[in-house]
Amino acid sequence: MLVVEGLTCRFGTKAAVDDASFSISPGGFVGVIGRSGAGKSTLLRMINRLAEPSEGRILFDGLDVTALRGKQLRQWRARSAMIFQQFNLVGRLDVLTNVLMGRLAEIPSWRSLTQLWPDEEKALAMSALEQFDMASLAAQRADQLSGGQQQRVAIARALVQEPDIILADEPIASLDPRNTRIVMDALLRINKHFGITVICNLHSLDLARTYCDRLIGMASGRVVFDGAPAMLTDHIARELYDLEANEVMGTAPTHASADSTIPAFGTAAAA
Amino acid sequence: MTESPKPDFEGLRARHPEVFDRPLSARLATPTMMIAAFSVFVFGLIDLEFSPSRFFSGLHQLGWIALMMIPPDPGSSLPVYLVALGETLSIALLGTTLAAVFALPVSLLAARNIVPSSIFRFPVRRFLDSIRGVDTLIWALVWINVVGLGPFAGVLAIAVADFGAFGKLFSEAIEAADRKQVEGIRASGGNALHEIRFGLMPQVLPVIAGQVLYFIESNTRSATIIGIVGAGGIGLQLAEQIRVLEWQKVSFLILMILVAVAAIDWISSKLRFAIIGRRAVV
Ligand SMILES: Nc1ncnc2c1ncn2[C@@H]1O[C@H](COP(=O)(O)OP(=O)(O)OP(=O)(O)O)[C@@H](O)[C@H]1O
Ligand SMILES: [Mg+2]
Repeated sequence: MLVVEGLTCRFGTKAAVDDASFSISPGGFVGVIGRSGAGKSTLLRMINRLAEPSEGRILFDGLDVTALRGKQLRQWRARSAMIFQQFNLVGRLDVLTNVLMGRLAEIPSWRSLTQLWPDEEKALAMSALEQFDMASLAAQRADQLSGGQQQRVAIARALVQEPDIILADEPIASLDPRNTRIVMDALLRINKHFGITVICNLHSLDLARTYCDRLIGMASGRVVFDGAPAMLTDHIARELYDLEANEVMGTAPTHASADSTIPAFGTAAAA
Repeated sequence: MTESPKPDFEGLRARHPEVFDRPLSARLATPTMMIAAFSVFVFGLIDLEFSPSRFFSGLHQLGWIALMMIPPDPGSSLPVYLVALGETLSIALLGTTLAAVFALPVSLLAARNIVPSSIFRFPVRRFLDSIRGVDTLIWALVWINVVGLGPFAGVLAIAVADFGAFGKLFSEAIEAADRKQVEGIRASGGNALHEIRFGLMPQVLPVIAGQVLYFIESNTRSATIIGIVGAGGIGLQLAEQIRVLEWQKVSFLILMILVAVAAIDWISSKLRFAIIGRRAVV
């Protein structure tokens, strides 16, 4: 059970995430939606502790994640595997080594730093690669793969971390429709097959409705929607994304009607 | 090619006055700079007593020396010269390697993405800068006084001088590394050593190796020069033969150096290509 209480992250005076509270029970597939800049990435990065929370707490099965340091923090990072939009693989390392990076928290440093990987660990990595049809590419350099292949390697890396949660930050934003399906299906399979909770930032509402069993909507750092996809009416969805037009025009993100923004576009074009 | 429509000159001029009516100072800036640069050049020629007449009257001397150099001939000293050349190449290789080995850990301390605090980074940078500010030749003179004449002083001179240069170059390569790859390691639970070993080094090592190879190349020349002031190797032989006016031996030695530099050049370009190639690095 992941519990987020009043989580806030400020960059300077600006709150990227503002007083977010929710809890996620094990095995869920949760989509986080919202316009660009809403704070989705920052929220996920705080859960993995790549970003430092300014206020609030994150609890996992009673463990205060926000207070972790050192080795315990690294173990938590392994338990909450991150998947990035840009894959964040090490381009010049081969695919197998990239997957083995997911085992760093478990393997003694003298072995990993000298690349003397134990055979069991290699077997674990290869079996993860096999699950996504990537075993034949194990010796390839990661930066020679297509985007879809790289993301599958990143998912394999996440899987060998034997995580309790997978945090996916727009995992499909740089992929074509076919690879989008492959990657989302892979996440769904991990979720259903291993019962690993998945929290996934998505830009596409369609995808969010198809794959997620719960949606969290964010706007200006705040959680403004939390419920089943069926509860996300077109009206609420439009409100979530309408804010974007206001932001683009530089006006305050209040609930202005769509009408008032259209003339603004017109004048901008004419000027 | 179709003729483009005539631009609306007056309209454009009215809409973009900043393009057409630039202030006088902006328009004069370029000519002023050119005149200033030319004046500095002329002043330099005068100040350094540049004298075409002296140059041309000395030219026949140069031609005479050139004639004396033909044909290049080592006399009976070829084995000595070969040993000396080997010594020079060893000085370059060993000096550069030592410099790189010591510079790598220090360059980490000078890189912003490893040591974010400028209070800790600043002294390391200044330290590297001040070492780099002193030329290899000066270091050679210093080390000859410390450890005596010979190749050991040469190795130390190159090692110290290039330690400063490498420290700066390596830290810049580290700063230019892609942060996302390091973040991928951190997010998976890696510690700081893992981040450096797996996130940074694969990106940085090919760059560093290329720089080291280039320095070995250019240090083959430096090692010759510092040999002239007494740090061993073929430079010592060259200085000696110039002093006793053995021009045929001088030209032979110069040819040896040229061939050696070309060979190093060739080998290092091959190696560099292999390193930046498509194989996975460790
Ligand atoms: N490291 C940072 N330093 C300063 N400001 C930041 C930093 N990271 C994020 N922000 C700011 O926080 C806000 C939220 O950013 P975040 O990346 O979380 O949004 P997002 O919802 O993921 O957007 P997108 O859909 O474009 O990825 C943005 O206004 C951004 O400018
Ligand atoms: Mg984002």
